[in-house]
Amino acid sequence: MRIILFSWEYPPRVVGKLADYVHLLATELVKNRVDTYVVTYHDFLTGAVEEPNGVKIFRVANPVRTHVGILTWVLTLNQEVERAAASIFYQVSKRVDLVDVHDWHFIPAAVTLKNAFGLPFVYSVESLEDHRSPPANTPYSMSIKSIEWLGFYEAQHVCVKSEWMRDEIVRIHNVPSAKITVVKPTTNSWLDNILFMYKSVAGGASSK
Amino acid sequence: MRHELSVMMFSWEFPPRVIGGISPHVYFLSKSLAKNGVKVYVITCDFPDTPTHEVIDGVEVYRVDSYKNPAPDFATWVYLMNLNMQREAAIIVNKIADKIDVFHAHDWLVANACIGLKHIFRKPLLATMHSTEIGRRDGLHTPTERMIHETEAWLTYEAWRVICCSHYMVSHVKWAFGLPEDKLSMVPNGVNTNVYEGISKGSLREFRAKFALPEEKIVLYVGRLVYEKGIHVLINAAPRILENVNAKFLIVGNGYMKDQLLNIARSMRLEHKILFLGFVDEATLVKLQKCADVSVVPSLFEPFGIVALEAMAAKSPVVVSDTGGLSEIIEHDVTGVKVYPNNPESLAWGVTKVLLDENYSRYISENAYKKVREKFDWNRIAEQTMQIYKAVLGEYSKSFWA
Repeated sequence: MRIILFSWEYPPRVVGKLADYVHLLATELVKNRVDTYVVTYHDFLTGAVEEPNGVKIFRVANPVRTHVGILTWVLTLNQEVERAAASIFYQVSKRVDLVDVHDWHFIPAAVTLKNAFGLPFVYSVESLEDHRSPPANTPYSMSIKSIEWLGFYEAQHVCVKSEWMRDEIVRIHNVPSAKITVVKPTTNSWLDNILFMYKSVAGGASSK
Repeated sequence: MRHELSVMMFSWEFPPRVIGGISPHVYFLSKSLAKNGVKVYVITCDFPDTPTHEVIDGVEVYRVDSYKNPAPDFATWVYLMNLNMQREAAIIVNKIADKIDVFHAHDWLVANACIGLKHIFRKPLLATMHSTEIGRRDGLHTPTERMIHETEAWLTYEAWRVICCSHYMVSHVKWAFGLPEDKLSMVPNGVNTNVYEGISKGSLREFRAKFALPEEKIVLYVGRLVYEKGIHVLINAAPRILENVNAKFLIVGNGYMKDQLLNIARSMRLEHKILFLGFVDEATLVKLQKCADVSVVPSLFEPFGIVALEAMAAKSPVVVSDTGGLSEIIEHDVTGVKVYPNNPESLAWGVTKVLLDENYSRYISENAYKKVREKFDWNRIAEQTMQIYKAVLGEYSKSFWA
């Protein structure tokens, strides 16, 4: 299996808890013989590198430096994420099973790649705009929420870390609960559960 | 039918959605390309009561929901609109099995969508730069303006070739983004002369009477009411013109300067002489251009100046400020009158000269009409554009993307 992880933070760029989680996930996936790529952002450590743990990382910078908010920053950066993902895609003769996008930032890229290549994606939710900026009713929050919604709508599957988060996604975004898998990173079967979910998503794509 | 060449064009405006000059440009360019055997797809923004997909003279037009995501401001709206535009385009390209040879972007408003698609489908991207933020604003003063400027720079960086509509714009774009000379091509803008044919001035007497008294000469301005278009120069020239000629000033278009301009007109006590018509429909505009005794283009910054071409096609004499693309279109005393930019006295002189000397006025408008027919013909422009597509595809065929 070959997958690409999208995350806006990955060590050495650490913003919150997501960076370390995605790093751990990538490392464990490689140990389980999954060919793992990470596309992430860094201001100047750009380009493709393979780390000692076997994870292949493609870091991109924002082509537009001046911004008026997080949204414009994210939306120009997404084109570089697409460039990186497309480079990987063509390099491996289009044999990528799925994209796992962590949080909303790179959902635009995942959505376009899905529609362009038929490449399915999993939306892994670390947090929601409703909880980050309650009551999430400013134009900025509404806009971010609409991108989150697009992610839930277009994703083949949604992965969350708790039952509470699953219920919140059902409540806020009306996502059918059957589309959401709860994988608790604290359990022993954590990685097996993720691999199982990946296989069910990739199964649809590789069978064609 | 098997097409030799297929192009997917992106524009944030396409008729009936008309905001500025890009809409008619993309409309006529795509139609003329289709007539020359090119398969053309146009991806654009939606418009009320207009189909999301239609075929216009062989051009496949797709209109994308541009308000799908709530946006806090205009620039963010543009980028969010690009997200949906890119998604829709990806679906279409996928559906037609990648049968697209080139992507063609019109201005920064579609930069994001096109740049991503270029890398995803690995096809060459061309960009037509109709204008620049640094030119429009005469410098970069706010974060939004800098962001737009950097987005334009990014688009020209990613483009295989950059097309501009005048030699002035080629040099301006080269300076603004530090582009190499061989990346730039000049293809003029065109004008559709057909819409002005078969309308005689005599048949418009009744129409004309709605706007001006028979003894009043009509001075026409068509354009957005914004600083760069220099409309305030014309308003300030009005009293000087009225000293010598009885005229009515018809101002077509809207913009953020409207209230300010109305106040100036009021303070000069010329409300009865300066008529602000707002946005008018195409048919009315054509008739106004036919009625105009002089058409004025007083721009301070003008990448091309399509209104001047339209006036020339309507056989209305033109007075333009000697700047940008206008300097190239008009030959002074031959096809029009050039005046100093941002100079009401000079503009008043030019307008008065045309209005008082009928022989001169007829001479320049007839020359202008001939020039328009031969140089700014859409068919010719489509052929020049195809040459650029073919040159780019020739280079592309030797690259590792091919």
